[in-house]
Amino acid sequence: MITIKKLSHDFVIGKKGRQTIIPVLRDINLTVGQGEIVTIVGRSGSGKSTLLNLVSGFIHPKEGEIWVKEEKVSDLNETKFADFRIKNLGFIFQSFQLIPSMTAFQNVELPLILKGINDRERKKKTEEMLKKVGLLEYQDHYPGELSGGQQQRVSIARALIVNPPIILADEPTGSLDSETEAELLKFIKELNRDLGITFLIITHDDKVAEIGHRTIELRDGLIVEEVASLCN
Amino acid sequence: MQLKDQFRFVRQNMKKNKTRVFMTILATAMGCAFLIVLASVGFGLQKSVVKEITEQRVITQIDVHGKELNDQDGFRPLNETDIQLFEKVKDVKAVTRRKMLQQESTYIIGNYQESAQTYVTNFASEVKAGFELSEGRLPKGKDEIVVGYNFSLNLASKDAPGDIYDKKGQIKAEYRYSGKLIGQKLELTVRQNKDGKQVEKTIPLTVVGITKKPTREWAEDRTVFIADEMLTEIENFTGTPKGLLLDENSEVPAEFKAQDNSYDEVKIYAKNMEAVQSISDKLTEKKYGTYSVVNELKEVNMVFMIAKAGLIFIGTIAILIASIGIYNTMTMAVTERAPDIGIMKAIGANPKTIKRIFLLESSYIGLIGALIGTVVSYGISYTVNFAIPLIIKQAFGKETQIDLIFSDIPLILPLICIVICFGVTIISGFRPAQRATKVDVLKAMRREV
Repeated sequence: MITIKKLSHDFVIGKKGRQTIIPVLRDINLTVGQGEIVTIVGRSGSGKSTLLNLVSGFIHPKEGEIWVKEEKVSDLNETKFADFRIKNLGFIFQSFQLIPSMTAFQNVELPLILKGINDRERKKKTEEMLKKVGLLEYQDHYPGELSGGQQQRVSIARALIVNPPIILADEPTGSLDSETEAELLKFIKELNRDLGITFLIITHDDKVAEIGHRTIELRDGLIVEEVASLCN
Repeated sequence: MQLKDQFRFVRQNMKKNKTRVFMTILATAMGCAFLIVLASVGFGLQKSVVKEITEQRVITQIDVHGKELNDQDGFRPLNETDIQLFEKVKDVKAVTRRKMLQQESTYIIGNYQESAQTYVTNFASEVKAGFELSEGRLPKGKDEIVVGYNFSLNLASKDAPGDIYDKKGQIKAEYRYSGKLIGQKLELTVRQNKDGKQVEKTIPLTVVGITKKPTREWAEDRTVFIADEMLTEIENFTGTPKGLLLDENSEVPAEFKAQDNSYDEVKIYAKNMEAVQSISDKLTEKKYGTYSVVNELKEVNMVFMIAKAGLIFIGTIAILIASIGIYNTMTMAVTERAPDIGIMKAIGANPKTIKRIFLLESSYIGLIGALIGTVVSYGISYTVNFAIPLIIKQAFGKETQIDLIFSDIPLILPLICIVICFGVTIISGFRPAQRATKVDVLKAMRREV
């Protein structure tokens, strides 16, 4: 589903003439199969978020190739990646990234609007999705009126509404209490089991790492360890 | 993304900062109103001038005043051969031709007399051109005449004292002829100088017809039409062409001799207004001197077109100033909404869609401003037309012409304004919209990389 070949990336900091190159990822090779949950762990600065951002298309790699669903996404321009993203990728962020001026319903509906789905179908699908995440009665609430757990569920509903085959999650439980965290992890496992959704999750939380079929550890931009989970 | 959803987004975004959007719309509306009102003065004055020109003359009429002479400057008078040529030109409805008696002619009915212009005309062509009688019939005999509608108003009593005119400049009723004219016998007095003396001849005539009332309120028709044979009789008496009255020692000028049997007034009537230009062009090509309302209108319209273009240009500057406000509003909107734009891009919004939403927002502001400006300018235009005559009357004690239009807004003017405004707002919104597409997703979401 996701194949990363010889991926290297660095950041250039400082003014012209006095620039410093900081390598972030070096020669990464990774494959994520369909229906797999892969968790990436590592210390702060290990390059795990950069790896996710490269797969997401938010930044372009300096070297190497990224293939998602047999599409070489590392070669796509911004417009083409946007079209690819809305069809194939769902996102769950640590800080939820909901639009504060929109209600829960409007936030979940947004990807469908961007896809050009008509009003009627949108309403039906959004209500179904909100029901699925248990927030139908909160549909008219703004993000500021919801708890952290509820906001993350709205964020998940928004990610799932277009039925993406892959979900990329960056520290999905980072802003949640332990009870809500457990609920969310259970929900991710259900989605993976029932709908076959592939998950690539960045985390530094052991509990989150445990739900992965495989856990990959990054250190200083290199894959240092790959562990297959016995529990899954 | 569907267009109606884009509009919904735009409306939602505009609601987020109502005051700023309102002020921007207000500035745009003021710019538009300024443009429309300014240009409407040009349109209004043009309308007044054109109305004045077209009301004074028949629009399908072409005056032909002669044919250019090859070997010298000037024009020769027109004769029957020219008339026949004119009648063959395409789209010519009628060619009227008149000869004028070349001396002051006095008409007397009993104790009343009047001096009037005397003409000989071809009634068949006059009728074709629209000549009508209000009473009586067209002349058949040599001594029958048709008089102008206002002829009787100027028949004054011979015994009247010096001041016979009222305040309006008309002969007072008590000194004016009040009898009927049709069938009335009157006398035409013509003169000639012979052996140092002025000799008069009195010709008895009968009024058989009165022309139709002039369509314009101010116009006065006192013309008298006599028969061609009668003119010949007068010419025989005076011994000069068209009864020209000469001094004792002078002779008929050479150029006047050449005018023998020529026409003094030739008018061509086109079938419709559109044909006037082509007929004029054909005659000009054949070296005839012509003049029509279309010629005059062409010049007037050209002057006003330049004036209007200038006024619209000045008005556009106001819209350009307003566009700075739009640019500012849109730039602020992009800055404020950068996190939202980032989220939208992250979940798959196409940069083109984001650009379109912002362009739509700026053009929406421009369009609302233009519509409000248009409505306001109609109000200002109406007020100006109503108030300025009153102000002039109060300030200068003079009344303006009733039909004078100070400001006129034809449909094309708001359309021009809306197009200009739309164009300017698109341009001013383009850069902020472009910036919106360049919003960095990670920076906008404040994520660490």
